[in-house]
Amino acid sequence: MKNFKLYLYILLLTGLYACKPSVQTPAPSHGSADFSRYISVGNSLTAGYADGGLYLEGQQNSYPSIIAKQMASVGGGSFTQPLFADAQANGSGYLQLTGFTATGSPITASVTTNLAVTGQTAIPGFGNVITYAKYTGTDLNNYGVPGIKLLHVTLASYGNLNGFYERLLTGAEGTHNTAYLDFITAKPFTFFSNWLGNNDALGYATSGGAGDLLTDKGTFAALYSAVMTKLTASGQKGVVATIPDVTSIPYFNTVTVAAILAGVQKANPAVQALFINAKSDATAAGTTYAARPATANDLIVLTFPTAKIGTLVSTPAGMLPYGLTPYSPIENQYVLDANEVALTKDYVIAYNNTIKSVAASKNIAVNDMYTFLNNLKAHGLVVDGVSLSSAYISGGIFSLDGVHLTPRGYSVVANEFIKAINTQYGSNIPLANVANYRGVKFP
Amino acid sequence: MRKLLLVLLACLPALSFAQGFQVNLEGQKQIGMGHTGTGLLQDGASVFFNPGAMAMLPQNYIQGGISPLIFKSVFNPSGSNDQFYTKNKIATPFSFYAVWGPKSNWWKFGVGVYTPFGGLTDWGNQWQGKYALESLNLKAIYIQPTLSIKLADFVSIGGGFVYNIGSVDLTRAIPVSDANGNDGQARLKGTGHGYGWNAGIFFKTESGITVGIDYRSKVNTTIKNGNAIFGVAPSLAANFPQPNTFTASIPLPSTTSLGFGFYPSKRWTLAADVNYVHWSVYKVLAFDYAQNTATLQDTYSPRNYKDAVSLRGGAQYAASDKLFLRAGGGYATTAVLDGYVTPEAPDANRYYFTGGLGYKLASRLDLDVSFEYEKLLSRTQTNIESQLSGTFKTHVYIPGVSLAYHW
Repeated sequence: MKNFKLYLYILLLTGLYACKPSVQTPAPSHGSADFSRYISVGNSLTAGYADGGLYLEGQQNSYPSIIAKQMASVGGGSFTQPLFADAQANGSGYLQLTGFTATGSPITASVTTNLAVTGQTAIPGFGNVITYAKYTGTDLNNYGVPGIKLLHVTLASYGNLNGFYERLLTGAEGTHNTAYLDFITAKPFTFFSNWLGNNDALGYATSGGAGDLLTDKGTFAALYSAVMTKLTASGQKGVVATIPDVTSIPYFNTVTVAAILAGVQKANPAVQALFINAKSDATAAGTTYAARPATANDLIVLTFPTAKIGTLVSTPAGMLPYGLTPYSPIENQYVLDANEVALTKDYVIAYNNTIKSVAASKNIAVNDMYTFLNNLKAHGLVVDGVSLSSAYISGGIFSLDGVHLTPRGYSVVANEFIKAINTQYGSNIPLANVANYRGVKFP
Repeated sequence: MRKLLLVLLACLPALSFAQGFQVNLEGQKQIGMGHTGTGLLQDGASVFFNPGAMAMLPQNYIQGGISPLIFKSVFNPSGSNDQFYTKNKIATPFSFYAVWGPKSNWWKFGVGVYTPFGGLTDWGNQWQGKYALESLNLKAIYIQPTLSIKLADFVSIGGGFVYNIGSVDLTRAIPVSDANGNDGQARLKGTGHGYGWNAGIFFKTESGITVGIDYRSKVNTTIKNGNAIFGVAPSLAANFPQPNTFTASIPLPSTTSLGFGFYPSKRWTLAADVNYVHWSVYKVLAFDYAQNTATLQDTYSPRNYKDAVSLRGGAQYAASDKLFLRAGGGYATTAVLDGYVTPEAPDANRYYFTGGLGYKLASRLDLDVSFEYEKLLSRTQTNIESQLSGTFKTHVYIPGVSLAYHW
C-alpha cells in the first residue's frame, strides 16, 4: 500500500504543478521605432475628454495613456498626463446619466462638485476664458488640449484663449505667449501621435454651421505640413490619424427630423413638415440662408431642445409655432443642413488627403479613423463578445456628449493606433483588452 | 422625443455545448487501459461500455469510483501577450455499477449511474472573454437499468433504458456598466431531464479474440423553467425583467463503439476501441426566455457540429495474482468547426495517455487507481458570434480511484 500512496502523490503533484499550459507569444519588439519617450499631440479626444467635460477618469482612460501602457513591453517609457488632483477629480464638470423618461429618452445632469475650475478671466477682444487648476508636474507626455484646432497651433497668444492649454503653461492668464507647436516640441521625444484637425471641421458642424468657420483647406495643408516637419525634425517616428466624417457621430444622428416630426404628428396629425433655416448653396463663401421643409438629409444636433417645437414665437407674420412654419423655422445653430453637411464632408476629405499625403512623404504611420468610424456607423463592431456601434448611449463607444468617447471607445481607438504603428514599423505592441474598459455608466 | 432604443446585441447568455463535455471516465480499469472496454469483460462497467457483455461476466459486481478532474485552459488573445487561465476547480465525474444474476445462468441484471457529459470551467470575471463566458458548471447524470442475455456460449446481448438528470449553471458578464463602472451579470441555472437507451452485443470468437459493439442513443435533455437571473443597473432593470425563466434543449449525442479484446498470453490483455460520436445532431442552440424585451431576445446560435471519431488502445499486464498494471492512450477528433470554438470547453483535436494499477485487497475486493493526462492541441480562432479571437490551449489531469466488490 505504501507504494500506492507514493504513486498517488506523484500523480497529484504532476497534475497540479507541472505543465500548466501556456501559449508561445512572439518576442516583444519595437521594430524600427523607439518608444522610449512617446508624446501625444491633439485635441479633446487626445486629452481623454468625455461626457461633455475633461475629468480625471476620462484622462486616465485617454487613448494615448492606453497606447503608452501597451508600449511598456516593447521599450516604452513612463507616460505622464496632466491629471486633475483627486480633490478636483471632476475637472471641468461633465454629464452624468441619471435615468430615462417613460418614453425611453435619457436624462442627464451636470456634475458640479469637486471641480478644478479656478475662475474666469476676461480677455480683451476675445471674451471670458474659464481657467482651471494648473498642472504643476515637470514631466508631460500627453499634450491633448480640448478645443484646439490645427489653425491655433502657431498662435502665440493661444494660451490666453483656452483654459485647458493655459493650465499646462507657467505664468498668469493673459500673459502667455508660447505657441502650442513650440510648447510640444520644447522637450526631446522619440515617438509621437498626432490627431489634430478634428475641430477645424467639428467646430463648424456642431454649431450647425452658425457659430464657427471651417479652416481653409490651403491653410490646413500648410499648417499640417509645418507641424509634421517640426515633429519629425530629429528623425522621430510617429503615427497620425485622419479626421472622422462629422456625420458618423451620434451628435448628429440621434435627434432626427423624422423622430421630431413623428412626435409632433402624434399631437397634431395635420402637421406635414418641419421647417429649418437652411443654407442655400454648398460653398464656403455662400452666406444666404432661407427657410425650407426639413428632410432626412438635414441633421439636428443632439443638444437641440425639442420642447421648443410648436411653442409660439414672434415673427414678422405674427405669433407662430416654432419649427412648423416657413416664418418660424428651426434656427440655424440647431441644424447642420444638407448643404452644410456636403460642405463639411468636402472639407474633411480634403483635410484627410493632406494628412495622408504628408504622412506618406515622411513615412509616418496613418490610423484611418475616418474609415474606421464610417465602418462602425455602417456595420457596427463586435469585440470580445461586446457589440459596439455608433448609436448614442447603447452603442458603447460614444460618451454622453455624442462626440467624445467612453473608456471602451478610447480603448478601441488605441488598438487602431497600435495596429497602424505595428504595421508601419514592424513592432508588436500588444493590443489592449477592450473588455477591461467600461462603456456608458447607467444609474 | 429623443428616442432611444437600448438594443444591446450579443450580450445574451447562451450555453454552448462542446465535445469537451464528453467525459470519458466510466471505470477505473478501463481508464487505465485508454478507456477501452467495449470488447472486454472487465467488471460492472460493462453496463456503460457494452450491456451486451454483462451476461458473460463471470461474477456479480457492486462497484463505485470517482475521477477528480482538473481542467486547465489558457487563452492568449490575438495580438496580445496576455495569458488568461481557468481557475483550479475540481470536477467530480463518478460511476457506480451493480450487476447481478444467478450463478452460471443465462441472464444478468444491472444498474449504472454515471456521468458521461459534464464540464466545470471558471475563467473568472476579469478575463478578456468575460462577455462570452465567466463560468460554467454542467452535469449530466445517467441512470441506466439494464438487462443482458446470453444467447449462446459465444454471444450475448443486452440493453438498458437511460434516464438523464442534467443541470447547468452558467455565468456571464453583460457589457453595461452600473454607476460604479461594474459590469452587469447574467446567470442561467436550471435542471432538466431526458431519455435514451444503450444496447450492445458481445462475441467470443474461436480465435480467442473478443468483440463488442455498442450503441448509446442520443439523449435530448430539456431544461424547462430554469432561472434566468440578471443583475444590471437599476435604470436598465426593465430591459432585463426579473424574475425570468428560460427553456433550452441540448441533444447529448449518440455514440457507436466497436471494441476488440486480444489475449496474447495469460498475463496480457490488449484492447482497441473505435468510437463514432454523432455530434452532427447539434446544429443550433436555442434559448427561449419566458419574458422577452427589446433587449432580451430569444437567442438562436448556430453550432453546426460535425461527427467526431476517437481511437483508443490499451493493455493490461497481470504482474501477479493480485497486481495488475495498465496503460493506454487515444486520439479524438474535434466536433467543433473553425469559428465555433467557445470558452465553455475550448475544443480541439486531442490525445491522451493513461496509466493504472489494480490491486486485489481481498479475494472479492478490487482497488483500482488510474491517471489520465489529456492534451488538447492548441487552436487559434476567431469566434463568429463573439469575435473573441485568440489561442486556446488545454491540459486535463485526471486521477481516479474505485472499489469493486464481486462474488
